[in-house]
Amino acid sequence: MRVRLAAMFVVALVIAASVPAVAHDIPNAIIVQAFLKPEGDRLRFLVRVPLQAMSDIDVPQRELGYLDLARVDTALRDAATIWIAREVALYEEDRRLPVPDVVAVRVSLPSDRSFQAYETALAHIEGSPLSEETDLYWEQGVMDAWLEYPIASDQSRLAIDPGLRPLAQRVTIALQLLMPDGRVRVFELHDDPGRVLLDPRWGQAAARFVGSGFTHILDGLDHLLFLLCLVIPVRRVRTLVGVVTAFTVAHSVTLIASAYGLAPGALWFPALVETLIAMSIVYMALENIVGAHLMRRWAITFAFGLVHGFGFSFALRESLQFAGSHLLTSLLAFNVGVELGQLVVLAVIVPALHVLFRFVVAERMGTIILSAVIAHTAWHWMTERGGQLLQFPAPTIDAAWLVNFLGWAMAGVALTAAIWLARMLIRAKTEQKYGKRVVKPDVI
Amino acid sequence: MTRNKLIVAIFVVALGALGITRFVLQESVEAQGDTVRAPRFEVDPFWPKPLPNHWILGSAIGVWVDDRDHVWMIHRSSDSLADQERGIELEHAECCEGAPPVLEFDAEGNLVGSWGGPGEGYEWPQSNHGIFVDHLGNVWIGGNGGGDSHILKFTRTGEFLAQYGMAGAHRSPGDAGADDYIPTFEGDSNDTQNFGRVAKVTVDPTDNEAYVADGYLNKRVAVLDADTGEMKRFWGAYGNTPDDTNLGPYDPDGPPAQQFRNPVHCADVSADGLVYVCDRANDRIQVFQKDGTFVKEGFIAKTTLASGSVWDLAFSRDPEQRYLFVLDGMNNRVRIVLRDTLEELTSFGDGGRQPGQFYGVHSIAIDSAGNLYTTETWEGKRIQKFVNMGMADVPRGSQGTLWPTNSTQ
Repeated sequence: MRVRLAAMFVVALVIAASVPAVAHDIPNAIIVQAFLKPEGDRLRFLVRVPLQAMSDIDVPQRELGYLDLARVDTALRDAATIWIAREVALYEEDRRLPVPDVVAVRVSLPSDRSFQAYETALAHIEGSPLSEETDLYWEQGVMDAWLEYPIASDQSRLAIDPGLRPLAQRVTIALQLLMPDGRVRVFELHDDPGRVLLDPRWGQAAARFVGSGFTHILDGLDHLLFLLCLVIPVRRVRTLVGVVTAFTVAHSVTLIASAYGLAPGALWFPALVETLIAMSIVYMALENIVGAHLMRRWAITFAFGLVHGFGFSFALRESLQFAGSHLLTSLLAFNVGVELGQLVVLAVIVPALHVLFRFVVAERMGTIILSAVIAHTAWHWMTERGGQLLQFPAPTIDAAWLVNFLGWAMAGVALTAAIWLARMLIRAKTEQKYGKRVVKPDVI
Repeated sequence: MTRNKLIVAIFVVALGALGITRFVLQESVEAQGDTVRAPRFEVDPFWPKPLPNHWILGSAIGVWVDDRDHVWMIHRSSDSLADQERGIELEHAECCEGAPPVLEFDAEGNLVGSWGGPGEGYEWPQSNHGIFVDHLGNVWIGGNGGGDSHILKFTRTGEFLAQYGMAGAHRSPGDAGADDYIPTFEGDSNDTQNFGRVAKVTVDPTDNEAYVADGYLNKRVAVLDADTGEMKRFWGAYGNTPDDTNLGPYDPDGPPAQQFRNPVHCADVSADGLVYVCDRANDRIQVFQKDGTFVKEGFIAKTTLASGSVWDLAFSRDPEQRYLFVLDGMNNRVRIVLRDTLEELTSFGDGGRQPGQFYGVHSIAIDSAGNLYTTETWEGKRIQKFVNMGMADVPRGSQGTLWPTNSTQ
């Protein structure tokens, strides 16, 4: 018995010595590819993770650090259990699903393309493993795992809290949900996104985007300064309502248009929009200083609102994946959030301006000082952003360029005509109601 | 009311005039047939992000995109920098010093890895040249320095894996100890153990074979077992047995040369198993089957002299690989060529130092989204990214320096 134990001990030592412990740094960044497919009472989860990210797992190696593929299976199952099965939290409705079964696991080459589609990924995991003679440096391999969870119904709404943040400094998860009706929903999640509703109800999507719009306007200093410029000379509720409504309608138009892919996708476009946003603040601030024509302020606000809407769309681009099948609802909800944020800001700013102009500084002087400070800040933004814009090379003006330019010019003329028409209608209505005297330009 | 009518009339006339002008121009553009349907690109002037540590690039002579869409480049660092460019190394200024030869960027342009240079167990090339990351994630490097007659293979973190061939194998006989000894080298395109100044290596994952563009001294394509480095076959132009006879200067009006001229600058394998070889100074692409059987050739800017017009190429990322992006470092442009006919459709780029322009544009690679990356040698010394904007009607012939027109085309 003793001899047997000693022999076992020696064998264990030899095995341990031939399996170098993998002490390595956490990778800077990894991409995890995954598919979720509910089928009947099972939820299938296929996932591909770089082996490099499997910390604290003894990956068996042979000479030069190549993977010992004949002995790698146990290490892979351990890695799939420790770093994937136990860490990824999946929810059916609001119920967390139990730790899944590891159905299969394998090593693949970094060049393998089977995870481009669910069917090929599944076939790949089920297929024959890599030849044991393959010289694959262990850190350069990827691990494919097939996990299965029991679920009550494939019609349930699912949620995921990936929990893969410990695998790398930056984790990007490319996830596809394949729904029973054939729809496919694609997500790109970063680091630790918390619990993500993969198929939200409209109310859930709306609530998320109201919150997102609200925080976005409060985080966006340039939008806030624009708002401040608007209200410094316009603090009467009726005028304020007109101006803020013009801004809201305009940015809603371009935000929704962008979400439906109608905005230019050129690389210089975001730089142009950011520069124009800074210019809009400079313009408004200067107009406040020289004397704002309040009757035409809503029209200018409308034009600048179109630009700010594009700016909002850049912020929203990544999170539209969380809208589920409620894109329009989510966009409108985002706008509602923006409006709520604006109202909160106005509720603070307007009384504060009243107090300031009543007790601290005369209104005209205060308007000039505040506007000058804002113009100064925005001027710096404008030159910085303009500098970036100018790094794009100058256009080659040829017939094709002119065709495009004329298309945009036509849109510009049509927009100007629409604004002019709206002004005419409003003026006519106002004259009808109050007579001609009140429509004299209101200049401060 | 009359004033309002006048304004309405102005709007209507303006819209009508613009619309008619646009229509006429559109018709004229289409009638002239001066556009072709081809992939359209925009330069991304903000890629990559600035290097850390006051690092600066030398002549950049290789680029590749790996399976994770990480962009790899190799450059000649301090060996190709002027004294004014490396003040830190010479301890006379706060800027700069040569970056390590091998640099790895993520898709966003962040530098995420850097290594390279002489080390234990291998002979770092006198003048590194070309970089490739294979299907196993291994990094292959060639070299076109005087005595470079070998290939190196590393892991992607720079651990040495293998050296195929020995440095200095083709040195001419002479007394290396003599005061007036200047080493000279002669090609041997039939040597099965060593190479002759390798320009680029690519690995075909289907057969696990490495295709070597060999090179600046030899005049052949050599095929190796990618695991062992054992040479399996090699061939010259038209599939001929390679011959190192000096062909003299290229003559655009003369009959096509029956051998490659130096340098043989690329040997890339397409998805359908054809080998595309850059015969740089002969201004041509030659296409072979994997066994070296000649298939066809196509000339590119055939009157180009000096360094030639076919420097490197990349395949488009559609399943059929319909387009070749052929790099022409002499005329400083990227040529978009139909792969099946080798007919040039359009090109972009021009000489210059602004984004989207080139000086000695040397190597090209493509990522999974079809974005192109180029590196520039000589005093170009940079890497640029061209973002794939999808298919569009673009001008036939030269597009000049790229400028985004309208992505909705």
